[in-house]
Amino acid sequence: MTQAQNSVVTDEMRAAIGVEGSPATLEVEKTNCRMFARAVGHTDPIYYDEAAAKARGHRSIVAPPGFFGTPIFRPGAPPQGPTGGRGFNIPYKRVLNGGTDYEYFPDEDSVCAGDTITARTKITAFEETEGRLGPMLITKRETTYTNQRGKVVAKMYGTVIQY
Amino acid sequence: MAEVFEITDEVKAQFGVETAPWVYEVTTTSVRMYARGIGSTDPIHYDVDFAKSQGFRSIVAPLGYVGTPAFSPETNDATFGFPRRQGGARLNLPMKGLLDGGTETEYFDYICAGDTLVETSHLADVKVKGNMVFVTNESVFKNQATGQVVAKQRLTSIHLG
Amino acid sequence: MGQVYFEDVNTGDEIPQLRKNCSTQQLVLWAAGSGDFYQIHYDKDFAQSTGLKGLIVHGALKNAFLGQLLHDWAGEAGSLRKFGCAYRGMDEPDQDIICRGVITKKYSEGGEHFIELDVWTEKPDGTKTSPGTALVTLPGRG
Repeated sequence: MTQAQNSVVTDEMRAAIGVEGSPATLEVEKTNCRMFARAVGHTDPIYYDEAAAKARGHRSIVAPPGFFGTPIFRPGAPPQGPTGGRGFNIPYKRVLNGGTDYEYFPDEDSVCAGDTITARTKITAFEETEGRLGPMLITKRETTYTNQRGKVVAKMYGTVIQY
Repeated sequence: MAEVFEITDEVKAQFGVETAPWVYEVTTTSVRMYARGIGSTDPIHYDVDFAKSQGFRSIVAPLGYVGTPAFSPETNDATFGFPRRQGGARLNLPMKGLLDGGTETEYFDYICAGDTLVETSHLADVKVKGNMVFVTNESVFKNQATGQVVAKQRLTSIHLG
Repeated sequence: MGQVYFEDVNTGDEIPQLRKNCSTQQLVLWAAGSGDFYQIHYDKDFAQSTGLKGLIVHGALKNAFLGQLLHDWAGEAGSLRKFGCAYRGMDEPDQDIICRGVITKKYSEGGEHFIELDVWTEKPDGTKTSPGTALVTLPGRG
């Protein structure tokens, strides 16, 4: 790999690759599953109606695609997990969300209301490119979602672009 | 000039007519979100362990929060979230504008995360002042597990004609 | 809507489109549903102060729309294994966002039937704003 001459990736940043941030606890409930589904515009009753979800073999209301619960909020507390490259001293001012991919690992059931999910995030790579907008730093992140039975149910792969 | 809304005998006959019950859920996430919305920093609304150390079952619903009505796009209003259900009053109110006229909540017990409440409501009052119609509905919230009435809430909406 | 089966679909097939159009109200709903309260999605003055022309639709909401597209297509007996997209272009409220998917590969492995798709959102003029891929399982007729 060729190191860019004016690389903004510091030793501190390189040392952070692969290091998991503090875990975040996410609560999956009937109310927040419904709210997420309502916001997207889902019409499948398994996202709203517990009886309909049970009739289709689920334990309770199902978490819609891309939803793994709401992180426990504490006022004034720092956000849980790593800041995804935003915490480092980088000379670029602008931040873009480059994209998000989800991968599911089927457990005995989908993620449902009543589940507690632990999310652990780490940076997997820093990449530097010269784009239309000038030099860019691309930070790749990976979040692993583990349910209360200790089973990894999903992973999220995210890209943050700074330029 | 004709009134924007007339309180006829037909309207009066609808006072006190109960709606079908509806489930309102109180969860840790919804309690925290409401507390965050009002800007509270009291850990009693955020921290389950702290709330338990104070003798509560779980985090306590902030004053005014009586749970979130179970939502489905087929049964609930897309904007306000309230359920469209059987029973209750059917009034042909003017809808040029809609304002919140006030909320009064009377408590008979604490409401905590984990509680499921069953709510029924009825039309309690209608007043007309100029182009404004003040409509007051009274809701009764019972704890689903114990059947105990935990709160009553009077909500007044102002319909502008 | 009936269940779609593995045998019924082929590479190159397009799945039924999902058309969205976000009111500013839907953006506020998404803020509540996702917990993302960044002001560029509901405060026009704030959005313009950051150099944007106006409010923009959350990238993550478009991602979730693709989740709905795939869930609604795969049906009760199908399952969503992988989906996602990059955020390449911005979408504005009150403008159609068309969510589309085309099958790129089908194969069976370990007793399961897999479908790979290209998925994306596009503007009415055809500009793709959120290109991505997905992996779905479908039931077999067997």
